[in-house]
Amino acid sequence: MMKVIALAGNPNVGKTTIFNALTGLRQHVGNWPGVTVEKKEGVFEHKGQKFLVVDLPGTYSLTTHSIDELVARDFLLKGSADVVVNVVDATALMRNLFLTMEILEMGLKNVIIALNKIDLAEKRGIQINVKRMEEILGVPVVPLNAREGIGIDELKDKIVQMTRGEIKTSPIIPRYDPEVEREIRHIEDALKGTELARDYNLRWLAVKLLQRDDGVIKLVLRHLGSEKLDEIMRHIGEVEERYRRAMDLIIASQKYEFIDGLMHRFVKYTHEQGETLSDQLDRFLTHPVYGLLALFGVFYLLFKFVFALGLPLQEELDVVFSSFGEWLAPQIANETLRGLVVDGIIAGVGSVLSFFPLVFLLFLALSILEDVGYMARAAVVMERIMRKFGLPGKSFIPLVLAFGCNVPAVMATRTLDDERDRIITMLVNPLIPCSARLSVISFLAGAFFASHQALVALSIYATAVLLALLVAWLLSRFVVRGEESPFIIELPEYLIPSWKTVALHSWERSKEFIKKAGTIILLGSVVIWYLSSYPVQMGTGGSYAERLGALFEPYMKLMGLDWKAAVSLLFGIIAKENVISTYGIIYGSEEAIAGAMTPLQAYVLGMVTTLYVPCIATIGAIRAESNWKWAAFTVVYMIGLASLVGILIWNVGTALGY
Amino acid sequence: MLMIVPLNTLRPGERGIVVNILGGFTARQRLVSMGLTPGAVVQIIESHPYGPIIISVGGVRFAIGRGMAAKVMVRKL
Repeated sequence: MMKVIALAGNPNVGKTTIFNALTGLRQHVGNWPGVTVEKKEGVFEHKGQKFLVVDLPGTYSLTTHSIDELVARDFLLKGSADVVVNVVDATALMRNLFLTMEILEMGLKNVIIALNKIDLAEKRGIQINVKRMEEILGVPVVPLNAREGIGIDELKDKIVQMTRGEIKTSPIIPRYDPEVEREIRHIEDALKGTELARDYNLRWLAVKLLQRDDGVIKLVLRHLGSEKLDEIMRHIGEVEERYRRAMDLIIASQKYEFIDGLMHRFVKYTHEQGETLSDQLDRFLTHPVYGLLALFGVFYLLFKFVFALGLPLQEELDVVFSSFGEWLAPQIANETLRGLVVDGIIAGVGSVLSFFPLVFLLFLALSILEDVGYMARAAVVMERIMRKFGLPGKSFIPLVLAFGCNVPAVMATRTLDDERDRIITMLVNPLIPCSARLSVISFLAGAFFASHQALVALSIYATAVLLALLVAWLLSRFVVRGEESPFIIELPEYLIPSWKTVALHSWERSKEFIKKAGTIILLGSVVIWYLSSYPVQMGTGGSYAERLGALFEPYMKLMGLDWKAAVSLLFGIIAKENVISTYGIIYGSEEAIAGAMTPLQAYVLGMVTTLYVPCIATIGAIRAESNWKWAAFTVVYMIGLASLVGILIWNVGTALGY
Repeated sequence: MLMIVPLNTLRPGERGIVVNILGGFTARQRLVSMGLTPGAVVQIIESHPYGPIIISVGGVRFAIGRGMAAKVMVRKL
């Protein structure tokens, strides 16, 4: 039987590092059932016993106010874990022990504390007597420096011992003022006769009820009835009157006082902590002006790195796949099968895999910035700007990534904790022109506006970005409502990245991209192959694709375009760079396009290509990260927006005589 | 109980003890779980005319939105 280990802890405490040190490559990422919270699991073996490690979402507490916390809490409450490893940051003990107390308050006995960053704590003059800490908390404490791998074996030993029942624990439970304790007892007594007594720790339920926890209120209401619950709530109100403070604040501050009392018995501070190097860096990196400049610098370098390295790799992979197709084609006798395999499947798989280097490098660069601690600073700097458009500063990262590729950008919206912020950022994301659209824009600009090439390209980019911000603002006002998320973010100390964590993280993410986006891209390219080869080859005017284009011609006329544009845009849904290559097929060569349109038409085409519909991979990513409803909404609003802008530019342009 | 002011009015380097947190339940819970609870000592590290304030609580640095900081009532030290 595999034993289950749960890893619980605050964000930024090195939980992931410990998870990786325990499981290595034997891990996989999925989702918690029914929610978009990432679930990481891995296995390891120690002393002949196999373990399944479940990495719970990093949380500061276990209330029901965020999905992350609810997921972590439910997992612990159900008793799903044989051992709970609570990762605690030794440099911020007070705050970390708050979560520890919430875990112990649940009545869990199988808890081990992994006291991480012990080396950093010592450097800062925080001396922790581990032996005393164990005695006082009543559970085993293992000091670690997970980045260097120190303490991991000791942690494994303790886990084995605990699953064998060789460790007796007597966990400490936080105590409150007599007045609060009286309320707790009062509630406990009321609950004693109910079924809840069998499934839950009554003291925990009582404390949560005092904090007016939504989930617990509903639970108690079912078992006690509204009359009894009302009486309890009235009591709570009276205590609040006396303290002149909300009950959840009373509980929290008394819990901190309790922790403070404990800490005096096992922690000594040998010297005052002055201004740290991190503070000095932050003075510059979070500054409204210098911070912004630094941010541009950092992201400029990031793009340089990703594209200088990734684009040649992408082209190489493209060549490999197309020459593989050319080699394979003569080997297949059946024409239909040949077309399906070569033009449908291989072309599809090729385009998915050719994205891999870009996506991997992008995630690698981001993971490094995240691990170093820079992302939190970027969020602070951008908060000042993004908030004006109804978005938090953190949403800047997915939006910037979109200039590279919208698919990883949509996936990066996960870093936003608030559901509302996440959806808005995801929905406006495809408006930001990705590198595929850059190829279309620069082709058109080069072919039609030789003298004002850069200006024309820039005007399309600027329009797209402004529209993205405008749509974000509109969405936050009228569509995706909800409370504006409160802004508070921890600024972890700058650290040299742990290469193992960074590499594993980017690998997992890019693998997921291939899996998720892969199927939909493959499907799309098979459909395109079919539309353009039946009933006759495209270029003759009789293929399904061209007939479909003709159907749209009256609509396209509104913005001065014809059926050829309709066909090209249709194929552009698979991948935006197809817009130009499809024109090429219809006209016989890409050079011929220059003679077939006026500059104004070309400008409209460039603008519409940029705005109209996300590519199929992006639609797939949006669906995977939210649902079909939002994916469909994105498609619809973007078609509307592109049509509007296209028609406007065409009519204004012709009226001005272009 | 002389000088009870919102946190956002403190200047860099100044410290205060949290006495109460106003505002909604969700925001309050968020602050509390991060250590910004009545009784905690907060120091302002950075504060610029616009945008988030950088504070230190229990040896940890946080950036907190100006609006949210206005809901944290502190006694100036």
